[in-house]
Amino acid sequence: MTEHGPATNQPDPFLLELIRSSFDAIADQMALIMLRTAHSGIVRDTMDYSTALCDAKGRTLAQGVTNPVHLGSFYDAMQCVLRRFDGDFNGGDVFIFNDPYEAAGQHLPDIYIVKPIFFAGQLVAFATTVAHHSDVGGMVPGSNAIGSTEIFQEGLRLPILKFLERGVPVQPIWDIIRLNVRVPDDVMGDLQAQMAACTICEREVEELYRRYGGDTLGAYVEHLHDYAEQLARSQIAAIPDGVYEFSDHLDGLGENPEPIALHVKITVRGSNVVVDWTGTSPQVPGGVNAPLPFTKAAAYAALRSVMSAAVPNCHGYTRPITVVAPLGSLVNVKYPGPCGIKGITGYRMIDCLFGALAKAVPDKVAADNSGGATLPTIAGYENGKAFVFCETVAGNWGAAFDHDGQDGVAHMGANQTNIPIEMIEARFPVRIEQYGIITDTGGPGTFRGGLSVIREYRLVRGEALLMVRSDKRAFPPHGLFGGHEGAPSFNIVNPETDPVVLPVMTTEPYSIKQGDVFRHIMAGGGGFGEPLSRDPARVVQDVIEERITIAGAERDYGVVIVGNPPLVDQELTRRLRQRRGISCNAVSIDAS
Amino acid sequence: MDSQCRVAVDIGGTFTDIVLLSDDGRAATRKVPSTPGNYADGVIDGVTRLLTDLGRASESVVDLLHACTVATNAILEHKGARTALITTKGFRDILTMRRIRVPRLYDPMFVKPEPLVPRNLCLEVEERLDHKGQVIRPLSRPDVHTAIARICAADVQAVAVMFLHSYANPAHEREVGAMLAEALPDHFISLSVDVLPELREYERASTTVINAYVGPPVKSYLDSLRAQLSRAGIPARLQVMLSSGGILDCQAVTRWPAQIVESGPAAGVIGAARLGRLAGYQNLITLDMGGTTAKASIIENSQISMTDEYEVGGAVSLSAELTKGGGYPLRIPAIDISEVGAGGGSLVWLDPAKAIKVGPASAGAVPGPACYDTGNDEPTVTDANVVLGYLNQSALAGGTVPLRPERSYRAIETKIAAPLGRGLMETAYGVHTIADANMMHAVKTVTTYRGRDPRDFDLFAFGGNGGVHAVSLARLLQIRRVLIPPAAGVFSAVGLLFANVEATATQAILAKTAELSLTRLEQGYRQLELRVAELMGYPADHVRYVRLMDMRYGGQASELVVAVPAGPITADALKAVEDRFELEHERRRGHRLTGNYGFELVNLRVRGVVDSTGASARPGPAAFTGTASGKAEAVRAAYFGPTIGALKTPVLPGRHGLQGAARAGPLIVEDYDGTTVVPPDCHARLDAIGNIVIDLGGAP
Repeated sequence: MTEHGPATNQPDPFLLELIRSSFDAIADQMALIMLRTAHSGIVRDTMDYSTALCDAKGRTLAQGVTNPVHLGSFYDAMQCVLRRFDGDFNGGDVFIFNDPYEAAGQHLPDIYIVKPIFFAGQLVAFATTVAHHSDVGGMVPGSNAIGSTEIFQEGLRLPILKFLERGVPVQPIWDIIRLNVRVPDDVMGDLQAQMAACTICEREVEELYRRYGGDTLGAYVEHLHDYAEQLARSQIAAIPDGVYEFSDHLDGLGENPEPIALHVKITVRGSNVVVDWTGTSPQVPGGVNAPLPFTKAAAYAALRSVMSAAVPNCHGYTRPITVVAPLGSLVNVKYPGPCGIKGITGYRMIDCLFGALAKAVPDKVAADNSGGATLPTIAGYENGKAFVFCETVAGNWGAAFDHDGQDGVAHMGANQTNIPIEMIEARFPVRIEQYGIITDTGGPGTFRGGLSVIREYRLVRGEALLMVRSDKRAFPPHGLFGGHEGAPSFNIVNPETDPVVLPVMTTEPYSIKQGDVFRHIMAGGGGFGEPLSRDPARVVQDVIEERITIAGAERDYGVVIVGNPPLVDQELTRRLRQRRGISCNAVSIDAS
Repeated sequence: MDSQCRVAVDIGGTFTDIVLLSDDGRAATRKVPSTPGNYADGVIDGVTRLLTDLGRASESVVDLLHACTVATNAILEHKGARTALITTKGFRDILTMRRIRVPRLYDPMFVKPEPLVPRNLCLEVEERLDHKGQVIRPLSRPDVHTAIARICAADVQAVAVMFLHSYANPAHEREVGAMLAEALPDHFISLSVDVLPELREYERASTTVINAYVGPPVKSYLDSLRAQLSRAGIPARLQVMLSSGGILDCQAVTRWPAQIVESGPAAGVIGAARLGRLAGYQNLITLDMGGTTAKASIIENSQISMTDEYEVGGAVSLSAELTKGGGYPLRIPAIDISEVGAGGGSLVWLDPAKAIKVGPASAGAVPGPACYDTGNDEPTVTDANVVLGYLNQSALAGGTVPLRPERSYRAIETKIAAPLGRGLMETAYGVHTIADANMMHAVKTVTTYRGRDPRDFDLFAFGGNGGVHAVSLARLLQIRRVLIPPAAGVFSAVGLLFANVEATATQAILAKTAELSLTRLEQGYRQLELRVAELMGYPADHVRYVRLMDMRYGGQASELVVAVPAGPITADALKAVEDRFELEHERRRGHRLTGNYGFELVNLRVRGVVDSTGASARPGPAAFTGTASGKAEAVRAAYFGPTIGALKTPVLPGRHGLQGAARAGPLIVEDYDGTTVVPPDCHARLDAIGNIVIDLGGAP
C-alpha cells in the first residue's frame, strides 16, 4: 500500500522512520506481554528480562525498554544459533539455551528463548527474549553461587536446543528442565511468558511484511543499521579525540576478600572507539567472571549513554565500537570458569567506563554510584516445598555537574524495579522491617551523591540460607572533580542483638533462623565538585530534609547551621570556609 | 418560562469550551479564553454570555457538567496543598524509593520527579500488620501525637495516612484518622483504606498522597465555582467528570478529588461511545488530535476500555507500563487512553543523521505554528498541512486565527526539504505521514497491544486536527471507515452531556479461587455496593451495580479485570469468571497457561451506575446540525502524495454541503472548529446525527 517507491541505495527518510518505529513498537509489545504474564518475582516484579527483534542475520533491530546489558550481547548468541541450525529453521520452532561456552550465553540463570519468523517461506527475522530465571539448579538456591570454581557447579547447562519443533513441545527437554530446577512452577511459567512474547512478535512481523513486502523491508533493515551507525558516529566524533583510562576494583570474595582489579583504556579517534580491558585481573575462582558478549554489551551500554541523540537500539550503532578483552581475564572468562554472578562485574565495567568518560565528557556522566543492584537471596523449604526469595536491590547515582545524585534508581546497565513489600510478605516467610535512605551517607560535593539505601529483612518462620552479592565496602563510590566518595556498604545479621558482619560477597551461604534480621546497606553515591563550594542554601535544605545532619553540614561542607527552623549562619560559615583555605568559587569541571 | 437546559463546560489550558443543550434536543457551542487566575471566572463569563446570546434566563440551567484541569495542574506545577504523610515506622522514604525504574534507558542525567511530600514531612509511627491483617506491633498513640505536633508546627494543609497491609485491616489507619480529625479539624485527611484498599504499598501511598495534595485546591476551586454560579443566578447542580468517564456531584468529588485528574480526555471518549452508538457504530477507535498531543482509546460493543493505573506528569509515551518512573502513579479507574506527542503544533526537526522527527516538543497554541506569525519560525505539523493545501490558506477557526501560509512554506523548505535535498510537497507529505505513524502507535497501544485488531474498528476522530489526519491514519491501520462528529473542536464538552453518574470501590482479597468461600464473596460485594452508593450520594436501591474481579493465574503479578455474571455469586458464576479470564488472557497475552497454576483473585470491584437524566435531555439527532453558512463552495490545490500529486480539490464551507448523496474525494470540508480532508478514492456523506462518514476506497 505504501506510496513510497521500492528501496534504492538512498533510503526514503520517511519510510525509514515509519519502519524504525514499527520495529520499536514490536519490541516494546513483547516486553509488555512478558511483564503481564511472567511468574517469578525476579521476572515479573524486578523485570530482569529483555526482549528484542532481530533480523535474519541475528542482528538486533529493536529492543524493549528493559535491560541494556542483556541486549548488547544478543548478537553473539544469535551467531551461535545461526551456525548450529543453519538450514534447519522451521515455522513453529522455538529454541532454548543458556550456556556461556556453547551458546554465547551470559550466565546459566539467563535463559534465552528464540523463535525464527518466516514470510513467504523465507526466514526474515527472529523473536528473541532472555529472562533471569529464579533457579536453574546448581550448588545454591537461586543459582547465583559466588563461591563456585567451575561452571558445572552453577546449574543446568543448556546448549542450543529445540524447545518446540514445528510447534510441538520437545518433551524430554521440558522434563529435564522441570527436574533440575528448585522452583519448576516459576521457571516453566516464565518460559511460557517468553514464548508468548515471541508469538506476538511473530504475528506483528508477519503483518509488517505483508504491508511493506519482503524486498522493501529487507533493504530497509540494512538502511536502519547504516542510519544507526551514522548517528552513532556523529555522536562519537563529538567526543574529543584522546586516550581515557580508569581503574576500579571489586572488593573481592568471601571472608578474606582480595581486591579484583579492573582497568580500561578508551581510545577515541574520529568516529571510532576502542575499549581495551588489558590490565584487568585474570579470571578468579568465583562466579564474578564475565563472558565476552557481556563485556561487549557493557561497553555498548556505557557509550550509548553518552550519546545525546536518540540512536536506534539496533546492531548498527555498535559498529564504530571495538572491544578488546584478554582471554582468561575477569572480563573474558575461559572454559570452564564460573560466571554465575557476572552481573556485578558488568556494573563495575560500566562504572569504570563512566570514570574514564568523565575525563572526556564531564557533563554527560555522573560520579560513581552505589555499584548496581545487589542480590540478597533467602531460600529454604516450607512444608516440604522449596522457596527461593531473590531480589535485586537498587541504590543511588552519584552527583552530576548540575544536580545532586538520585536516590533509589536503577543502575544504567539494568533498568530494574523493586518488589512491593506487601507482595513479598504475602508469598515468603520474610518481613521487610525497613526500606529507605540513610542520613549523612552521600559523597559530599558541590553536588552531593545519592544517599545509601537500607533494606532490612527478618525471617519470620523456620530456617533458611542467606546469600548476598554486594560490593563497595573497601572501594566506595568515587567522586569527580573534587567531590568526595560516598559511605561504604555494609551487611550485618542481627545488628541490634547479636551482630555478625557478613562479607560483601558470601561465598558460603549463611544459615539464619526464625527472628533473625539481615540489615543490608548499600554505598552512598560519589559527590561532584568541591564540597566547600556547595551553595549553603542547598546545605540547609539537606539539613531540613534530614539528608545530612547539622554536624555533617559543618564537617563536610563548612556550613554552620543554627536555630529552628534551621538557618545558615552566614558569618560563621564564611569564616569557617575561609579557614579551610579553599575558595568558594564555582568549581571548574575541565578535564585538564 | 424557558425550557430547561444542561450546560457542559470543559476547561483546557488555552480555551474553555461550552456546550448548551436545551431539553428540545438543540445544542449551542461557545469557545472562550480560559482564565488561569481563577478558572471559575471564565466559566461564569462564558456561560452567562452564551445564555444572553440565546436569550435564555439563567434559572433555566438545571445541570452544569464540568471537566477541569485544576487537579492535574496542581500536580504538574507542584502547586498543591502542603501535605504530610504518616506511615509505618521504617518506611518514611516510600515516596523517594518509588519503584526504582527510570523511564528512559541510557540517560545518566535523568532527574526523578520531586516527591509531593518533602522528606521532613514524611512521619513514621510505630505499628505493624502482616499480610493477613494480624497486628505484629500495636499502634503507638504517643508517636501519633508527636507526628500531629510536627504537622501543627509546619503549616501543613493536608495529611495522607498509609500503613503497610492496611488493605487487610484498616484499624490502625482508622484510629489515626480519628485522632487527626479531632486534633486537626480543618485539615484535609486522606486514608489509604478509603482511597485505595489494595495491595502494593507504593502505588497506594502515591495515590493517597495525590488525593491529599489536590484535595484543598480542588475544594477551593469547586466552592468558588458554586458560589459564583449562585451569585450569577444559575441554580444548576454542579457535577464533575471523573477519569473513569462517570460524573459525580461536586460534594462527592471534594471528598475523593484524585478521581478527576484525567477528566477532560475521559469526556471525549464518553461522547464518542454514546454518539457512536446513536449513529449505529459500536466498535470505535477514538482519536483526539489537538495542538500538542494525540490521544487514542477504544470502544468495543459500545463499552469503553478501562485501566486502573497511570502516571500523572509522566512523559507522553507509547508503552506507559514499560516507561514508568517519570510521573506520579495514580491507581484509580480511568479510561484507557494512550497519548503521543503528535499535534498540530508538534515541531518537525532533523536529527544529526538527517532523519525526520515529529514532536514530542511542541510550539503549542502560543506561539503556535510558523504560519501563525507569532514568534515561532520552526516548522510544525500544521505548517505541513498548510503547504499540502489541507488547511485554509488565509485563516483558521472560521476566520478568527489569521494565517500567513508563506511562512509555512519557508519553514518546511529551509529547515527540512533543502537539507534533505527533497521537494517541498514531498517533504510536507512525509511530515504528515510521520505524524500519522506516531499516532498509529498510540492506537496500537490500545489495540494490538491489547490483542485487538484495528481493522475491526471504525475510526472516530475529533479535536481541532482530527479530521485533517483521520483518513491517512485510517489507511495506515487498514481501517475502512472514518467518522468526524459534529462540534469536533469542542467534542470533550459534548461528551460531558452523555455521562452517567458513576463510582467504583474495591476490596483486596488475594486468594486462589479454589479456596474462596462463596458466602464471603457475596458479603464482600454487598459491602462494596453499599460503599459505592454512599460515595455516589444515592439510596442503595437507585443504583445499578456491576460486579468485577481482578484476576490472574496463580503466581502472576498482573491482573485482568473480568465481569462477574449478574445475580448472587455461585460456583457456576465463579467458573464463568475463570473462563472469561482465560479467554481474555489468550486474546491479550497470546496464550493460555498450561500447568496447574490455578486462578488468583486479587480484588473485588464494584462499579455503581445511575443514568444521569432521561434520554430526552441528551443531544438528539438534530442537535448539532445548525444552519448552513451561506458561503459558496471554493476550489484549491491539495497534494495527496508522490503517486497522485496535487489535485484541484473542492472546499466546502461547512459540512452541510455533504447533505444528500455521498460525494467522492478529493474534498475538503471546513467547519468552524475543524477541517476534514477526504482524499481521492474515498466517499464522504453526512449521517442523520451530523457525523461526516468517510468510506475509504481503493487498496487497503
